[in-house]
Amino acid sequence: MPVGPPQRHGMPLTRRTLAGGILVGVGVAAFVDEVVFHQLLHWHHFYDRSTTDVGLVSDGLFHAGGWLATVAGLFLYADLRRRDGLVRPAWWSGVCLGIGGFQLYDGTIQHKVLRLHQIRYDVDPAPYDWTWNVIAVLFLAAGAALWLRARRAGAAAHGRADAHAGTA
Amino acid sequence: MTVAAVLLACVLYTYAAGRLRRRGDAWARSREASWWLGGAVLVCAVEVPWGTWLPPFTAHTAAHLGAGMAAPLLVVLARPGTLVLRTAPVPVRRGLLSLTRTRPVRFLVLPPVAALFDIGGLWVLYRVPLPAGVHHSPLLYVHLFAAGTLFTFSVLALDPLRHRPGLPLRAGTLLAAAAAHAVLAKSLYAAGPPGTAYAAADLRLASQLMYYGGDVVEIALAVVVAYQWYRAEGRALRRAGRPGRRPVPVPVSVPVSGPPPRGPRPPAP
Repeated sequence: MPVGPPQRHGMPLTRRTLAGGILVGVGVAAFVDEVVFHQLLHWHHFYDRSTTDVGLVSDGLFHAGGWLATVAGLFLYADLRRRDGLVRPAWWSGVCLGIGGFQLYDGTIQHKVLRLHQIRYDVDPAPYDWTWNVIAVLFLAAGAALWLRARRAGAAAHGRADAHAGTA
Repeated sequence: MTVAAVLLACVLYTYAAGRLRRRGDAWARSREASWWLGGAVLVCAVEVPWGTWLPPFTAHTAAHLGAGMAAPLLVVLARPGTLVLRTAPVPVRRGLLSLTRTRPVRFLVLPPVAALFDIGGLWVLYRVPLPAGVHHSPLLYVHLFAAGTLFTFSVLALDPLRHRPGLPLRAGTLLAAAAAHAVLAKSLYAAGPPGTAYAAADLRLASQLMYYGGDVVEIALAVVVAYQWYRAEGRALRRAGRPGRRPVPVPVSVPVSGPPPRGPRPPAP
């Protein structure tokens, strides 16, 4: 079983935090898609016959992957808390990047290229597609901005931890 | 028949766990509960006439989920292999150990191979023309339970195995198998198994039951795998944090000046 390198307690683990956030973000986006648009609004169809085979495989991977990513992300979060290495801006950056990335992939590749299903039927999908993808890009931008902040915070915390280790 | 076999397995398990405890060894009650619950789920899946309330293919899917996914998870969580290795008579233990070292068994318990048997079997079952009545034959449920147990056993790797597969392989296999299960479930929404004529509404209900029901068990599997990782990380942290376990330089007893003594060591007094 792979075990991470031992590190001093309290060292900020910025990249690992980001990875955990991305996993949870992908899971949240997949869950919202499933619950809100499939189950509550019934806008999306469970399956429409124009779906390509590749589209079905992509959907299956992201459907299963969304759940597994959520589980993995939450356990990573617990481990980061235990190590006292969680960098909050990096976590939220990851969540935003995960949500935005999944939604953009869903809105462009899955809906349009692989023709998995449309966002809504019996209406002109263009405004829905634009809204969907613009929201995705906004999430990505927020994630990028938070990542810059996280890197600064991480660098500062590294400095503090090193100074602390130096005096000990 | 099923009831008798399952009951026998449950009574044997409890007897073995009791023997361990009388001997002074610990065996968690939760494992015993998991074994009995798994047996109950298996009996419910196979013996309950789901067809009286559900349309035929949905009834088959309910039994498929119970016997092929839920019951195997509970049974594997009870760690029957470990229990047998700790309580069976020595010749049985030896036989079991040498069996797990044979080439076919070592091949079968590789996670991708076990997944191929389990999910590949499902694809054959639903996508290859088979004789009528296969979907309701009792032997089919035996196969589903056995294949599901093999898959769960190899992905969770709770019982001792000679070469325990690593976490990335087990997690990757779980992801691929879950995706293949979702794809197959979704494809059943549009087209039933070849050679069958289930109603469209029946197929749609069955497809969604298989899709979302599969999710529940796969999430549970993922939680077990992730918890194994979390515990291993915790053990590594404790090891790293414990003082006195770092390698201590060995005191040098031989004078460093002069060549090291050659020839036979003097006999110890």
